[in-house]
Amino acid sequence: MTSTHRITRAAHLESLNDFREFIKKQCARVPDINEEFLYDVQLAVDEACTNIMTHGYADLNPGSIILDLEIDPDELTVTLTDFGHSFEPSHTPIPDVDAPIEERALGGFGLFFILQSVDAMDYRVTEDGNKMILTKYLRKQLKENNEDRSET
Amino acid sequence: MKTEVKHDKNSTIVVVSGTVDALTAPELATVLAEQVADGHVNLIVNLVAVEFMSSAGLRTLLGAVKDSRSHGGDLRIASTNPGIEKVLKMSGFHTIAKVFASQDEAISSFGS
Repeated sequence: MTSTHRITRAAHLESLNDFREFIKKQCARVPDINEEFLYDVQLAVDEACTNIMTHGYADLNPGSIILDLEIDPDELTVTLTDFGHSFEPSHTPIPDVDAPIEERALGGFGLFFILQSVDAMDYRVTEDGNKMILTKYLRKQLKENNEDRSET
Repeated sequence: MKTEVKHDKNSTIVVVSGTVDALTAPELATVLAEQVADGHVNLIVNLVAVEFMSSAGLRTLLGAVKDSRSHGGDLRIASTNPGIEKVLKMSGFHTIAKVFASQDEAISSFGS
């Protein structure tokens, strides 16, 4: 069975907590979602929303972010829709996490963390807004949970 | 997010609780910069009571590591939250700064 949920908030940093709490509340209904899975989804959503708030709506009137969450037995999917500036994910530099501190830029981790935290990321510019689709597989996590249990 | 500053013999401990995201991280940056400016260059950031930290928190910590070291000190972390551990590891923070499993271990690392 698939469940779908939606939250819409103003695209300012004060909304970040609402988006994270929404994810937490909906995931709490799914007994097999563990803390690590939840943190990964919250992190990906937080980073994506922060990018929209600080870059997507830069120089524009404050807009909104629509978060659609879909949970089915196989995967969790978050679709974030905004109406600001779009961006090209493949043009975003990946930070060098092995560089010594002297050579490190402080920022630039947002998209990198998103890609590390979910199994798939898709970005589309549509007539209905910019859509970032984040997918994380539940089956994989269930398998890992079962392996953990069998080890103990 | 809340912060509490405690001064030990050889280090200053900044105990952080709540969430460190793009909204709250600048507040943490200010607290850490103030300590370094006041000469408290050996810093311990205790993240044990932090429930969530994003890349904005990481950026703040990296900046404070650079700041403290440029003044002859160091910044070390105490953390037990697996989610935050993952953020620190993903970014390679472990190769830059020392991360301890408790505040006491971090304090001891600055010498007694």
